[in-house]
Amino acid sequence: MNRGSGGGYDRHITIFSPEGRLFQVEYAFKAVKAAGITSIGVRGKDSVCVVTQKKVPDKLLDQTSVTHLFPITKFLGLLATGMTADARTLVQQARNEAAEFRFRYGYEMPVDVLSKWIADKSQVYTQHAYMRPLGVVAMVLGIDEEKGPQLYKCDPAGHFYGHKATSAGSKEQEAINFLEKKMKNDPAFTYEETVQTAISALQSVLQEDFKATEIEVGVVKANNPAFRVLSTEEIDEHLTAISERD
Amino acid sequence: MGDSQYSFSLTTFSPSGKLVQIEHALTAVGSGQTSLGIKAANGVVIATEKKLPSILVDETSVQKIQCLTPNIGVVYSGMGPDFRVLVRKSRKQAEQYHRLYKEPIPVTQLVRETAAVMQEFTQSGGVRPFGVSLLVAGYDDNGPQLYQLDPSGSYFSWKASAMGKNVSNAKTFLEKRYTDDMELDDAVHTAILTLKEGFEGQISGKNIEIGIIGTDKKFWQAPL
Repeated sequence: MNRGSGGGYDRHITIFSPEGRLFQVEYAFKAVKAAGITSIGVRGKDSVCVVTQKKVPDKLLDQTSVTHLFPITKFLGLLATGMTADARTLVQQARNEAAEFRFRYGYEMPVDVLSKWIADKSQVYTQHAYMRPLGVVAMVLGIDEEKGPQLYKCDPAGHFYGHKATSAGSKEQEAINFLEKKMKNDPAFTYEETVQTAISALQSVLQEDFKATEIEVGVVKANNPAFRVLSTEEIDEHLTAISERD
Repeated sequence: MGDSQYSFSLTTFSPSGKLVQIEHALTAVGSGQTSLGIKAANGVVIATEKKLPSILVDETSVQKIQCLTPNIGVVYSGMGPDFRVLVRKSRKQAEQYHRLYKEPIPVTQLVRETAAVMQEFTQSGGVRPFGVSLLVAGYDDNGPQLYQLDPSGSYFSWKASAMGKNVSNAKTFLEKRYTDDMELDDAVHTAILTLKEGFEGQISGKNIEIGIIGTDKKFWQAPL
């Protein structure tokens, strides 16, 4: 005699459903998609580039305060796709953790270590009833001293993987299909190619051409490992290069 | 543990005497990728499928087989994030034992302590059971050993075992092929054949992981 569903609670807190699923985690993924933004990350031979849409819903809003791209340390960047408020707490905690790491161990926190820390924290929220999972997918980028350019993606379930290219948000699957074709033969993109692949992937998937003010672009390069958000002029250069290329 | 508002167990008995949350956890394990282990006369081998969600994922960033001590390795079926938590706790327990007794922890002790953690999460307030089953492979003074730990916290020693999606076919295959005096090389070969049985798509060095421990008592991953 099986009691069937968990008394209806399996949808409210992170306990198992009869099929062995965690509904709250699945709903957190839906919340990421519901934010209506798509993000893309591409790892090249010696650089990493992340791109996201910049939707400013109200003309009265200060555009400079609307951002999904956050520097965690001088060398680590984080692109948060999903619920902005959850993103801000995640960024705040990540910044604290990275700073403590630098203080404690005397060297900069590597990309994969930070990603693991974020993912492990997300896992705790999937196992303890008192905190819900965060509705954020985080893409962490940086140049690793030993492994070179790194791009990691951490999701609400606590999974994290290194990626050659990836996407998150509402058009995630379309973007991944596009990127799989581009990255099929393990191309070693230069910095310009990396940025242009990322931007053109976003344009193709959303089927619109952007103005430089409608997207945010963040990069790290091996010869300049500081995380940098590109200015509108630089984005314009890349957009022009893409349209001339096509 | 956690907020006092959740100081009641989420895993409670059903009228028929079952702990349904643990059963659901086992269902989650059963839908995970297949993994298996074989104990030979002179060593142990564990293996798993490594199917990644996309070709864009960098497979070198993923390691499903982990070592807990230099002579004990572990593989899982089920939820990866939960596995990482258990690996971290087990490694700490092994290290604490070593600090206290100046000896490497025996396999049975580590298994017992890890299982105790898994059991805690089926009874404590405000938490759910772990959605993983573990296969622990080790070689200590008692020889080669293979243990399977379930989300309930129960564990058994096995000569050969499998978990995850293809468990029934894999176990049947292993039952036919297992012999008590198997050598380690044969066991590795059999492990790969068993994985191949239920594999969807083309098996290759990039989508499986193999962990081996022999009489040298050093757990290592076979580079494929």
